[in-house]
Amino acid sequence: MTYRDRWLTWLFVAPALLLVSVLMYYPMLGTVVESFYSTSFINPTPKFVGLTAYEKIVGSAEFTRVVWNSFIWTFFVVVLQNVLGFAAALLLNQHLPGQGLMRALVLLPWVLPGVVAAVLWRFMYDPQLGLINSVLMSLGLIDHGIAWLAEPTIAMGSAIIAAVWKGFPFSCVVYLAALQAIDREQIEAAIVDGAGPVRRLLDVILPGMREVIVINFLLTTILTFNYFDMIWVLTRGGPQNATHIFPTKIYELGFGQFRFGEAAVYGVFSILALALMITLYFGVQSNGSRRKSS
Amino acid sequence: MKARRRRARRVTLMLLNLILGLIILLPFFWMVSVSLKPAVEPFAIPARLWPENPTLENYVTAFRPEFRVYFLNSIIVSVSTVVITVTLALLAAYAFTRAQFRVLSVIMTLVIVAQMFPASAIIIPIYKMVKSANLLNTYVSLVLAYVTVTLPVAIWMLRGFMASLPLTLEEAAAIDGAGPLRTFFEIIVPLCRPGIVATAVFVLIVTWQEFLFALSFTSTKDMRTLPVGVNDFIGQYGIRYGELMASSVLISLPVILIFFLLQRQFVAGLTAGAVKG
Repeated sequence: MTYRDRWLTWLFVAPALLLVSVLMYYPMLGTVVESFYSTSFINPTPKFVGLTAYEKIVGSAEFTRVVWNSFIWTFFVVVLQNVLGFAAALLLNQHLPGQGLMRALVLLPWVLPGVVAAVLWRFMYDPQLGLINSVLMSLGLIDHGIAWLAEPTIAMGSAIIAAVWKGFPFSCVVYLAALQAIDREQIEAAIVDGAGPVRRLLDVILPGMREVIVINFLLTTILTFNYFDMIWVLTRGGPQNATHIFPTKIYELGFGQFRFGEAAVYGVFSILALALMITLYFGVQSNGSRRKSS
Repeated sequence: MKARRRRARRVTLMLLNLILGLIILLPFFWMVSVSLKPAVEPFAIPARLWPENPTLENYVTAFRPEFRVYFLNSIIVSVSTVVITVTLALLAAYAFTRAQFRVLSVIMTLVIVAQMFPASAIIIPIYKMVKSANLLNTYVSLVLAYVTVTLPVAIWMLRGFMASLPLTLEEAAAIDGAGPLRTFFEIIVPLCRPGIVATAVFVLIVTWQEFLFALSFTSTKDMRTLPVGVNDFIGQYGIRYGELMASSVLISLPVILIFFLLQRQFVAGLTAGAVKG
């Protein structure tokens, strides 16, 4: 498009710009405003309360719990999902019979609707009827059913495993594509130099994929932090707040108890956390492109 | 010696492959197996992996009238979203790749960053907007929300694709006297077909499973979509797992089928953007 088509350019961009500003940026301001007001089920008219809700929430045991849970949840899901995804990508990059089929199958958990995956795992974790306890019992590893989702100490771990199963295929496919883009000649040169598979991985493959790995880590961090479906269907944030993360807490406060103001306070903190991650993401990306151009 | 070592390596890799396949497929197998078990069989303790007397009765009961309503709602909302998102994303991505001025690149960054926003953090103001516009329990509210959340990713995917198209074709068209609109519709859009397929499949997968907005915006049974419907089933049918798994299979089938049909284009389109960054 040339300069004289500027009006056309605006016409092309307008719908996207309008939707994103009205339905994403504007509500974000709305969340900040909302956090200064108080509503409840009995008092549905918003009342300005300033920072009262912040004072009540920040420092409360519940808030600390949600921050801590969000950190544990995000950290472990991201690390496990990326490590498992990378390992699977290395495996699928080998020449083996049936590999084409495997590459097609690997994305299945990611395609499966989130709520369905969560329902499925909820059933697999069922203390009496679930597959996991049945297998463990028939192997003689346990003698009575474990309540994977009802035990406060292990519920988060169970949720993390389910989320990793759902999420690692995506990382795997991205890493597989990056592996296939690595220069064959570099790897062959390393083989000629006598480098074993481990040396090749550390010296050639990993440095070559540095950027993809960093960006994928940041992207999965953002997605996992925002991930609502899995925990909501598995545990509703329970037992005793043991699995509440920001998205589930916001939903419960807002739509379960109609405490919009308090939900918005949690919303403001999650926006801040996300803003931090997005800044990091763009920092890394512009760093990468500068390196490429120099 | 060397040959033996190579064979050992191959066997190890095949074993690892088998384990990976098991990790991926076992939950799916379990889902299908339970959905085929007659009503009493899931209660056998310990659970059996294989259905002893497979039957389709769970599917018959799962496909009850309200489920059909949810299914229809999901189709209406998803198809509308895919069509609108892809159209708007094509227009925006074209402007972003071809026109170069500073304000536009700032706008592009703002639009693309929006894909990382936490839906949960803005759900309350959006809910209030939808409510005051009298749009709760309508397709319009869901489609509007879904188009907005999928647009940034769709633009990002298509932009990567369009950036790789050579400018020479457009220049040739301009010399032949084709206006920018004609060039866009008759040259650019057809060339983008693989990118469009990948983007459409992505948007479909995301929309088909969307849960948070659907849960918040719909309260009446006749407007709910499949993910919310399944979530309701958990409470309503308590431990009728056979039925629950049968509906899970029915919900997943459409996206899994489309994914397998268009798998090649989809993965290529998806990873092109992700790898390029």
